[in-house]
Amino acid sequence: MVIRMRVSLDLELKDEPGQLLLALEPIARHSGNVISIIHLREEERLRAGYATVHFTIDVPDKGCLERIVEELEERGVRVTKLGEVTKKSKLTLLMIGHVVDTDLRDTIDRINELEGVMVSDLSLAMPHPEKESSAIVDIEVSAGVDRHRLMERVYAIAKEKDLEIVRSLEV
Amino acid sequence: MRIQIIGFGVIGQGLARVLLRKEEELRQRYGLEVSVVSITDISGTAHAEEGLDLRKALSVARETGAIVNYPGAKEMSGVEAIEEIEAELVVEATPSNIKTGEPGLSHMLAGFKAGKHVVTSNKGPLALKYRQLVSEAERNGVEFRFEASVGGAMPVINLARETLSGDRITAIEGILNGTTNYILSRMTREELSFEHVLKEAQELGYAETDPTYDIEGIDTASKLVILANAILGIDATFSDVKIRGITRVTPEAIRLAKERGYVIKLIGEVKNSHLEVSPRLVPETHPLNVDGALNVAMLHCDVAGEVTVVGKGAGAIETQSAILSDIIAIWKKVKG
Repeated sequence: MVIRMRVSLDLELKDEPGQLLLALEPIARHSGNVISIIHLREEERLRAGYATVHFTIDVPDKGCLERIVEELEERGVRVTKLGEVTKKSKLTLLMIGHVVDTDLRDTIDRINELEGVMVSDLSLAMPHPEKESSAIVDIEVSAGVDRHRLMERVYAIAKEKDLEIVRSLEV
Repeated sequence: MRIQIIGFGVIGQGLARVLLRKEEELRQRYGLEVSVVSITDISGTAHAEEGLDLRKALSVARETGAIVNYPGAKEMSGVEAIEEIEAELVVEATPSNIKTGEPGLSHMLAGFKAGKHVVTSNKGPLALKYRQLVSEAERNGVEFRFEASVGGAMPVINLARETLSGDRITAIEGILNGTTNYILSRMTREELSFEHVLKEAQELGYAETDPTYDIEGIDTASKLVILANAILGIDATFSDVKIRGITRVTPEAIRLAKERGYVIKLIGEVKNSHLEVSPRLVPETHPLNVDGALNVAMLHCDVAGEVTVVGKGAGAIETQSAILSDIIAIWKKVKG
């Protein structure tokens, strides 16, 4: 599975023809994919004769991003802002078994321990104290999180606590 | 075309009935005259060079439960019948066995060796020995088709391999077992327990007395292996499938899922060479959410995008749609 991260960066470009190309070349060379470009002409100019351009790009990984930034700087393009855009997606899991007795709190904590993963909603059904109960949880997953690793952790917890996991189709 | 039917249970008898019904139509539309020269069941083989009387064969089977009671029938095994009786095509319709693949496996191999085309509904041998069977058929220069082994009347293998032949299919997911779909659908609608609905399904004849193959996901896994091999070209066998059944699904779990807009379905999925059968949360609006005993498969194609087929996954008559289409395809190919 190819994991891409979405990054936003502000570049300071000389306000003259051909400068955009100067910025695009390193991005393309290191497998970046441009999602949007906005010229921030109205904003305060940091330096006379320069304009700030806001880019949103997808890159395969951090290494590619580092190479892009390095090459931009080498070309005299200043990177004035850089940040990862956290694009979250949701996955839903149903747990069947002695969900409460096997320490639901601990189950959630251990899922949350993974970076970029957070249990955001939970509903519980307990038909009878001695019978198996069920919980359905929504998990917010940041872009770039390895969903297979997440599911491996979930299945390891489930095995230990004898829970049946029913996961949503797209995962 | 001279045909041998090996296995005269639900599927074999269904074929005899449909051949009787379609005799004239097959001749008119395709110039195909089918002559069933032998029928074998566990008791023996009925044989007639000029073609058996299918009505009589059906009544013998219905009244005595053994084809050996057909006039002149002998205690001849399936393999012997295939080796000794002249015919062009063998329909292998014995019960599926996922541990050994027998007796179907031996019947198919004997058919290829005897230079006969083979059409089958039997998934066990395919789930265990797909590669061997396909290469034996090729080596002997005969056709081998098995649309009926997956999804009964739901056309998926021939759809993918023939109609969608310009596409590369990258993943398949679907509901490949009608019994579990019936059980889960009814649990969802009536909020009944698994045990209750299973008993009901057994009484109605939708589930076997030993429902293990269905509810533990074994039947789905066998079909998934066939799809992985036949459509995705993955060299997988039954033991490669990660399998979980539906026995732990409770009415409360179904209710929780429903509140979030999901239904629970037993899904077979092959994706990135990974084969898995497990209960999954399917969005209510998703094409895979089909009710009752229906089967469904979604093919992920590189050109067409997603293509979904829905159909009856079982049934004595419905399954003949797949068997007939295979027989006709072979006929068209060999008559030139």
